Amino acid sequence: MEPKNKKPPSQDRREFLSGVARVAATTTAVLGGAALGALARVEAKADMPKQAVAEDSYDPSKHRWGFGVDATKCIGCLRCVEACKRENDVPQDAHHFRTWVERYVYLEGEEHARIDSQQDPVNIEASGSEREYRFANRYKGMKVEKAFFVPKLCNHCTHPACVQVCPVGATYKTADGAVLIDHDYCIGCRYCVQACPYGARFFNEEKQVTDKCTWCYHRITKGLQPACVEVCPVSARVFGDLGDRESPISLFIRNNRVQVLKPETGNAPNVFYVGIDKEVS
Amino acid sequence: MPKHILRLLVLIAGLAGFGLVAKAYFTADSFYQYGHYRGDSIKQIAAREPAYQTPRYCVACHGERHAQWSANSHKSVICEVCHGAAEGHPQNGKLPVPHDTARLCSLCHEAMPGRPRTQPQVEIALHASRQQCVVCHNPHAPKIAMGVAKVAGDPVEGKKRGVAACASCHGELGLSPNDTWPNLAGQHPAYLQRMLAAYKSGAQQDVMMSPLSEALSDADIANLASYYGSLRCRTAAARSNAGNAVAGKALSRNCAVCHGDTGLTANAAWPRLAGQKLTYLVNALKAFRAGLRKDPMMAGVTRGLSDTDIANLAAYYAEQSCEPTVQARSR
Repeated sequence: MEPKNKKPPSQDRREFLSGVARVAATTTAVLGGAALGALARVEAKADMPKQAVAEDSYDPSKHRWGFGVDATKCIGCLRCVEACKRENDVPQDAHHFRTWVERYVYLEGEEHARIDSQQDPVNIEASGSEREYRFANRYKGMKVEKAFFVPKLCNHCTHPACVQVCPVGATYKTADGAVLIDHDYCIGCRYCVQACPYGARFFNEEKQVTDKCTWCYHRITKGLQPACVEVCPVSARVFGDLGDRESPISLFIRNNRVQVLKPETGNAPNVFYVGIDKEVS
Repeated sequence: MPKHILRLLVLIAGLAGFGLVAKAYFTADSFYQYGHYRGDSIKQIAAREPAYQTPRYCVACHGERHAQWSANSHKSVICEVCHGAAEGHPQNGKLPVPHDTARLCSLCHEAMPGRPRTQPQVEIALHASRQQCVVCHNPHAPKIAMGVAKVAGDPVEGKKRGVAACASCHGELGLSPNDTWPNLAGQHPAYLQRMLAAYKSGAQQDVMMSPLSEALSDADIANLASYYGSLRCRTAAARSNAGNAVAGKALSRNCAVCHGDTGLTANAAWPRLAGQKLTYLVNALKAFRAGLRKDPMMAGVTRGLSDTDIANLAAYYAEQSCEPTVQARSR
């Protein structure tokens, strides 16, 4: 489009390209130094934590944790729920739970289960406090065809949708299989709460961050069981290393026909259930 | 190159450079250590101290309790389920000992749809009325020996022995002639055997019974228990002004779970009280209360009884008919 007789020297292609090259070279030189410095710093720091982990004698790459729930054993005593709150500083009210227990009751002649959990107002009334939990005997004397309790918690999925949606890298899956939340990095956007198909996450208004079950990561890295597993009086909860063939969870999976919740979502949960019904999801 | 293009390029480069430096500065050092997250946060989470310490922690000081607990059916219920998390104990004080056991125990043992059949469950109101569970059950060893072996004694042999040794006080037919010594006729043989064995071993002491039972062999004890258990209890209703039987009836609700509604329990482990001698009942209850007769359950239930309560209860049971035709409510 430009007229041939009017040809400003600065628009000469060769000059333009060489100009670009000159600018680029200067920028590279300036930034290169900074980038190299930063890189060196990252590398130096990367060595340090590995040593620290080794000192703690816990190596995440040597474990692959898994959790089992035997709903045929659960008595609905809710000791797990109270222990979890105490162990993990979960807000002491009837709205925030890292783990919870649902009750499924099929009354005679009814097609669908009646479902309630410890936070149901009737059950809170039975306990008399939002800090203590008990299931009210609300189906006493009714014709119950089938009833059972289902403990729930974060499934620590192999393909966690919550991790995928986090915009700041505040939630992640560790090498040993736990899905954790970095409370220092969480910006409280609650995308992950929406993304979780199991409702396992909640927003902690006190700390302004998302929170959820960690399988008591601070306990399992010290060789203890998660608090809920520890206090369960009927061993309805099982925890262990999937990589160890003789661990409780490996035996649980090997000796039972286990299933996971909502397999169709493709999240591949790592909490395995025995004795639940098709309506449980 | 025209100046404005150059300026633009320098600006872009400057911004890019600033961005890169800012990113390097603001990104936590451990951010890409393991992936798109802060590697240090794992350690941060793992550094938290556990609140629940497990029984391995408790056993160091509470070895005796631990031994009893771990040998009994509650061994799957760890200490901290009932006593709370042990974090900070003993430095920060004692852990709670739950007092409202009726409330605590019912968390697991209240009969409720949905609980597995293998879980021991009771209808609280029928099982214990308003009593606390610990009155009868030791939470560290909750099972009460319910199964009672049948007494394999020979009543005929027992009669021979009994007439010689016991009849002078307890009557030829097991019906005591005075108010202080108990009737034996129709009593559960297993209970009689248990008591005689306790006198013999010295676990229970009595100025008369101790020396007498020392002379008995185990076979004698079984024979005597069978003999007196086989006799028919027949007593005239003993009315007395010593206690208020109506008040005693109200109190007896607390006894009914073990001893039956009118004291005619069908459970062979525990004695029948119906038609028993009034003074004997008073003395026995007072002995339990004072710890002279040793029984953890009776010690628990008698602890709260006043002398009047005891008199009332004794009056109620002494009044009841011990005729076996009256069917005791089976547990």
